[in-house]
This record gives sequence, structure tokens and C-alpha cells, in this order.
Amino acid sequence: MNIEKTEVLRYLGYNNQNIDENTNQLLHECMTEILDIMKKNYVYDIYDIFRDENRIFLKNTTLTTQSKDLCHHLQKSDKCVIMAASLGLEVDQRIAYYSKTHMTKSIVLDACASTAIEALCDHIEEEISKKAEKEGYYMTPRYSPGYGDLPMTLQKEIAKVLKTYSKIGLTVNESNLLLPRKSVTAFIGWQKEKTDDPVDKCSTCQKENCSYRNLGRFCK
Amino acid sequence: MNKKLHFDEFLVFDGAMGTMLQQFGMKAGELPESYNIHSPALIKKIHQQYIQAGADVITANTFGANRYKLNHTSFSLEQVIQKGVAIAKETAKGQLVALDIGPLGQLMEPYGTLRFEEAYDVFKEQIIIGAKAGADLILIETMSDLYEAKAAILAAKENTELPIICTMTFQSDGRTLTGTDPLTMVNVLQSLGITALGLNCSLGPKEMMPILSQVLAYSTIPVIVQANAGLPKLVNDETVFDITPEEFQKWAVEMATQGVLLLGGCCGTTPDHIKELKKGLKNVKPLPPQGKRITAASSSTYTVTLGREVKIIGERINPTGKKLLKKALVQGDMDYLLKEAINQKEHGAHILDINVGLPEIDEKALMIQAIKEIQGIVTLPLQIDSVVPEVIEAGARICNGRPIINSVNGDDEIMDAIFPIAKKYGCLVIALTLDHKGIPKTGEERLLIAERILKKAKSYGIEKEDMIVDCLVLTASAQQEEVKETIKAVRLVKEKLGVMTTLGISNVSFGLPARGILNRTFLATALSAGLDAPILNPMEDDMINTVAAFNLLWNYDKNGTSYIKRYSAVMTKAPSSPPKNIDLKKAVIDGLKEEGTSLVKELLKNTKGLEIVNQYLIPALDMVGEKYEKGEIFLPQLIQSAEVVKKAFEVIKEDMMKNTENKEPIKKGKIVLATVKGDIHDIGKNIVKILLENYGYEVCDLGKDVPIQKVLDTVEEEKVSLVGLSALMTTTVKNMELTIKALKEQYPTCQVMVGGAVLTKDYAAMIGADFYAKDARESVKIAQQVLG
Repeated sequence: MNIEKTEVLRYLGYNNQNIDENTNQLLHECMTEILDIMKKNYVYDIYDIFRDENRIFLKNTTLTTQSKDLCHHLQKSDKCVIMAASLGLEVDQRIAYYSKTHMTKSIVLDACASTAIEALCDHIEEEISKKAEKEGYYMTPRYSPGYGDLPMTLQKEIAKVLKTYSKIGLTVNESNLLLPRKSVTAFIGWQKEKTDDPVDKCSTCQKENCSYRNLGRFCK
Repeated sequence: MNKKLHFDEFLVFDGAMGTMLQQFGMKAGELPESYNIHSPALIKKIHQQYIQAGADVITANTFGANRYKLNHTSFSLEQVIQKGVAIAKETAKGQLVALDIGPLGQLMEPYGTLRFEEAYDVFKEQIIIGAKAGADLILIETMSDLYEAKAAILAAKENTELPIICTMTFQSDGRTLTGTDPLTMVNVLQSLGITALGLNCSLGPKEMMPILSQVLAYSTIPVIVQANAGLPKLVNDETVFDITPEEFQKWAVEMATQGVLLLGGCCGTTPDHIKELKKGLKNVKPLPPQGKRITAASSSTYTVTLGREVKIIGERINPTGKKLLKKALVQGDMDYLLKEAINQKEHGAHILDINVGLPEIDEKALMIQAIKEIQGIVTLPLQIDSVVPEVIEAGARICNGRPIINSVNGDDEIMDAIFPIAKKYGCLVIALTLDHKGIPKTGEERLLIAERILKKAKSYGIEKEDMIVDCLVLTASAQQEEVKETIKAVRLVKEKLGVMTTLGISNVSFGLPARGILNRTFLATALSAGLDAPILNPMEDDMINTVAAFNLLWNYDKNGTSYIKRYSAVMTKAPSSPPKNIDLKKAVIDGLKEEGTSLVKELLKNTKGLEIVNQYLIPALDMVGEKYEKGEIFLPQLIQSAEVVKKAFEVIKEDMMKNTENKEPIKKGKIVLATVKGDIHDIGKNIVKILLENYGYEVCDLGKDVPIQKVLDTVEEEKVSLVGLSALMTTTVKNMELTIKALKEQYPTCQVMVGGAVLTKDYAAMIGADFYAKDARESVKIAQQVLG
């Protein structure tokens, strides 16, 4: 697995400024450190989809959701993968430790961790896509609670269905936050028809004043 | 009192419940405990099958029956637990019924939002219902978090008389998901006074063996294993476990032969697995626990064993004679405490002594707060240092791990107050060799007191391995002739009692010049007399060097590996001097911390602190801020500069405390900062904090996941007129809104600024905030506008 420097910089709000030697060294140090301390914890399962109007049901699970956007995302899918991934607790601990000793490092490491969890998800997606291919399916991109109208409350349901606590130590608190912090859950549809271009995450994101979007460089 | 457990024979537990329910069609995400209500016959049938297979203990279907998991269901806690225990009891024919207690599925503080006290309450609720329903024992199982296990054990101990068995679940890297290693688990759990401890779930028996051998090596109480039927594999979209009952038996026999006394199964095991297991055990003779008794303190992830190389107990967190620490304690400035803790760790401390005793503060509340903060950041075991039993108990309870209590002495009254606490919470105890008559002159007399203390400890069930004797260091300037009596006492105590020892080294040099020389010489002498764990200041090179040399000379540091690594680097490093060609402003702008610090020290020789702030630091900060706004630099560069200024401020502050009338450099007003209830994303808040402090504002940082009441209380106590709140997610902005509402109701003149990823100017206005800070720079401007 690789940590892309351009991604780390993106999380840090980088916009072509001159990167001095100290900062550059810190970036590389943190990119190495995150690979050293992160766990590659993940769990996923594959389910048949049932649906009625605006609802999706996954076979042999308690999971149902009423989300137009997810329905749309999975409109051509017969099956659906739910996945959960987490870098583990030590990443949170290390970031907190640095916030007391070297604030800049804690910020840079946090950005590296955000990059790493995305990279881990890509890695898992690749693994899943091999399975899909074998069974003659194409995959939709990942779709997570918080995108579009897919409610954050679904995090708890996902955690229950995948038993994320006992399998990978991933919890959801009363405010529907995933903890440890650097964690992701997502739906991936399996369909027979070739999938369209990847979704434009920005168009489904609720954060309208995002600096990345304002810079106009990071969206599709 | 219920049926008592005895271990002359193996005790066989049942196997999986969840796996069996899945076979009968339970859906993923369903609550297995709901079957107690809607399909009791099925649960009964599963119990029956395990009984027929030969289980001596059946586990009631109550694993996840807790407040959090039953929330939003139509079942009540009482209903589910009572029924679960009742089904097991009516099925049992002489078998014992275990109340099953699983993890709550929430991450504990400080990285999650579940507080220790809250976890205790949730477990207590379950345990009281289960015990009333007639369970024979309590099985706390599949724990990943040692802190959570401790909460559950205390809830069981304090609310029932039932035997307690606790298992934790390990990953293939040999640690639990929250980082606990096997030795630490054993050291902490067995000292809490439970009946048996061990391993379950996650791994198959084969993968468990290396972990198990460590558990058996140290456990002085019976060990239990409930392995999965191998590692789960995904076959045709279904999870399968592939160890057959016959293979499972082989492993069980192997484990029993090595000393495991309680055996059962976890995920993937069936009545057939248990039947084979039971059969296999017929030909094995049970062994009593063989674990070695050691003297060891633990955090949740790290255990320090005394008795080999020297272990350093850091003494810095003690307000006696430390102005800055005193001030920090009075103000509740936890960052200062954390800095002391981290510095000691980085200089080589193995254990941290924590003393927060000051007459003007609530010592108990502060001890709890200090321990929570420190154990969240630093992974070293802690030593709770107080003269108040109530403070010691509060500390021992909240500590995540196995702490040391500092201290008892030969006074019966003190021992009778402290030993019950030590026993209950499984602490090590330091025994000072003095009594109501004072410190005896001779080594022999101090030995007698030590002996007396150990005897009394034993009567409380505290073994000598749980004790550390401190023969007390006297000051050479006042009692010169008695200094060597301490050395003699250490030698005697070591020889006659075979117990671990400690000494507070720096006392010896009090009132004399060049204290380092005396300290290091005394330390070396004491170490060779048998001192195991000196209490000292790890920031003094003399001390650390002496320890490093001793470890090499005493053949602990094999081949001098650590010594060479440490000192070959030191010898080649050039001595640092203030940098030339660069001024303080440039050091700030370029983010050069070390240069900045030495330049400030240099400037302080001729310039007042306040002048440095106004002529160098603030102008440099303004320049950096402007560059950031114009997009010439980006976030890490801004923060790098802020860190230089922060460090510079610390140097100036220390200088002012030393030289002048305790005056602060500048004070522009107080601001409360908090990440709201339910949210633990605090990076943004931390960035805002460092910048505000740079500009001279005093920040009351309430941390993350802050209850509304805490914000209100602080505003009241500190008379604050500006509050900054941060929240990352839409779901926690709700709590931000509630916090603002409460603030505005009670303190209408108090202004609120907010920030966080999902907020916008409009959104901020909508939830009632006075200001929206789009970034940390903006928050400084807001502070300037409100407070000047």
C-alpha cells in the first residue's frame, strides 16, 4: 500500500505553495510512520438485494434503508457488499500524543491517516472486485452513510450486521461517529451491466463551502 | 452463597450460541438475546445439546443484553436477562449456569465517548439482574479493552458474591484490539481478585498457543480457554470455521496438559466439539496454576517487572517545591502535567509517580482528572502518591492497569486504611520503614518495621510480591551519620525478606551544593546494595547516566547494547550554540523551534520578556498570519510557526517566574474552548488553541466530548465572555446548538464562536452562534474583536 503525497497535501489544504525543507521532511516522516502504525482491519460481506419503492433490503440481514440516493446508486445491482475498514486505535493514540508534543506533526500525521484509510478502502475494493469479476459482476463505486440522503444513523446498523466491534474493533457512538476515528463503512453494488463513470463525490457531499471545492481543483 | 467452584477436576464449558442460532436462521444484525423471548424453546434445545455433550457449565444467552444494545428494541433489560438465566436454569441438571457478560460495543474514553463510570453502571445493571435471577457465576468474556474488563469486574465484585471469570480476545499479533499483551492482562486481571482468567474467540486453538503459554507462565489463578473452531474463512459468501471436533479435542488435550483448567468453545464450535473435548480430558490430569509470582506494575498496554535491570520511577509530577506545577494544578492546566509526563517518559522513566496534593484544591477530583489525562497519552504504569486514603482509592479505581500505591508505613491505622484498597483494586504498595515513632536510626530497626508491614499485608491477602519496601533516604546535610544506614537497610531487606525495593534518591543532597554529584553517588551505592526501582528525576542526566552504567556493569544490559546505542550518538553530537545570521522573527516565520528557543534565551539576557513578545513574536506572528491568508504558506507551516512562538512563551514565562514577581507576560482575557458532546475530533480545536495562546489569550481547554454542563460551569467559574465550540459532523452540530442554547439562556452576554468541517456562516447563525470562524486565524480576529 502506498501513501500518495499529493493526497496528503490535499488534506492539508495545499495550493502550490513553496514547501520548505523542514515541512517536506516532516511529510515524509509521517508518511512512513502511518504505514508503520496503521492496522489493515477490515470486514465485508456480500448480500442479495431486495427492494420496493424507496427501500433497500439485504437478504439474511436486518438491514433496510429508505434512501433515494442509495436506491439510485444501486438501481442496477443484484447484490451489494457492505464493508467496514479501520486503521485501529494506535493511529488515534499517536495523533493525540503528537498533539501534546509536536502539533504540526499531529496535523500532518492526521492527514496521512486520512489518506491511508482511503488507500486501505481502495485496496479492499480491489480484493472484492476480483470476487465480483469471477462471478461476472461489475462494481459500483463505494457509497457511505453521509453521502446524499443516506443517513448517518445507518452506521449503527452496519456495525451490527458486520459485527464490526468484535471483528475489527470498530464502534459507533451515540452521535453516530465511527471510532477509532480513521474508519470507513460503505456499500458497493454488484451489477451485470458495466458501471458508469465514478460518482462525483463533491456533488453528493453536503459541505458546500469546502475549500477543496472552492479551489476548484479536486472535484471532477 | 451459590455453588462454589473447585478445580480438582477440569471444568468444561459449552460452545457457541451465536453459531448455533445462525444455523437455525438468525439474520445478521439480529439481537441473539431476543430469542430468549420469542424462541425460548430453541435456546433450551441448544443448552440441552451442550449438556448432553458433557458441559459442566452452560452459558445463559445474555452476552449482549446491555442498555446500549437493547436500546431501540421492544425488549427490556430485565425481561431478556431474567428469561435467559431462567431458561438455562430450568435446562440444567446439576450443571452451573453462567451469566454471560460481553463487551458493550462502545469505545472507551479518551478515544471513544464511553466513560469508565458509565461502563461500570451499565455492567452493574446487568449483573444485579442476572445474579437475582439465580446465575451461579459471572463470565465476563470476549473483552478487547482491559479498562472495560476492569469496570465489569468491579461491578461484579461490588454487587454480587459470585465467582468471576474473565476472558479477553487476542489478535494474531499477540495483542487485543486495544493493545493489551498477555502478561499485562494476567497482571491486571488476577490482581483484581477474580476466580479464573483466560482467552477466547478471535483465534483458533493453534493460533492461541503462543499467547496461552505466556498466560500460563504468569497466571497464579486457574486459566480458561474457549477457542474458536479455527479461523473464520469466507466460502461461497458464507463464513465457515473448519476445525473438526477431533482436531479440537487434540488441541484441548494439549492445553489441558500445559495447565489449562477450564475449557470450552467459542465461535464455530458445536455440541460435537464439546463432546470430543470432554472425552479427551478423561486421560489428562489437571494441574494447579503454575504461574510465577512477579512484582509488576501495568498500564493497559505495558508492564514493568521489577527485579532485573533498574526501573526508574519518575518523580516530577509532585508540586512540592515546583512553582509552575503548583500553578498548573491550581488552574487545572492538564497540558502542563502531560508535558511533565511525556518528558519523563522520553528521558527514560518506566513508571510515573503522580502527586497532586495541594491544600487549596480538591485533591480527589484532580487525581482522577490527572490519571485519566496521563493514561490517555502516556503508556507508562502509574504510581498513586497521596496521604489521603480517599484520594488513593479514587485513583486506584480509575487507573487503567495495575498501579502502585505510594504509600503505607508501619502505622497500623494507615495500613488498615490502605491495605483493603490495595487488595480490592489489586495495587502494588510501597512500604515506608517508619512508624508513629518516626524513622528508626539503624538499618536493623528499619528491617523490623518492613517485616511487620509485610506480615500485616499478608493478613489482608497481600503477598510480599505485591509490596515494594522504601528504606527512606535521609538528608546528608542534617543526618550525615544515618545516610549509610539506608544502604544497610536496603541490603538487609533484600537479603532477609527478598522483597523489591525503592528509594527517593534526591532527598540525600537537600541543602547542599552540586546536588547531582551526591545524588548519583548515592544512587550507585544504593543500586549495588539491591535497590530495584529508584524514584528520581529522569531529566537529570547524572541519574540516567548512572542507571545506564549500572545496567551495563551488572550484566543486565547484555553486550552493552543499550549503553553503546545511547552514548555513541551523544559523543558525536556537537554542542549547540545560539544560531548566527538569523533573528527571532525569522526563526518564527521559518518555523525553527530550537533556534527560536535559544534566540529567546539569548535575548532574555538583555531584554525584558514583554519586549520580546511585542517586538519580535507578535509582529512575526502577524506576518505569518498574513502569508497564510494570502495563500503563500499552508497549514503545517502556519502551525510550525505557532509552535515556535509557544515554545518561546514557555521560556519567557519560566524566566519571569524565576526572576520577577510572578507576573505573567501578557494576559488578554480568558476563552473557553471545547469540542462538543459526542464528538472526539479535536484537531481543529487544538489549532485554534495554539494560535489564541500565541496572541496572549488564556485558554481553558475543556477537551473533547464535553458535556454542556461542563461548559456552563467553566464559564461561571472563570468569568468567561467568549466561548469557542467545535464539531466535525452534522450529527454533532446538534449538540453544538444545544450547548449554545444553554449558554445563551444562562449567560446572555457570553459570546460564542463556532467552527468545524460542516459549518458555514449561515449554518452557524442558524444554530445561534455569534461568530463563525472559518479557520484558526479567523478565531484570533474574533477574539481581538470581543476581548481586545
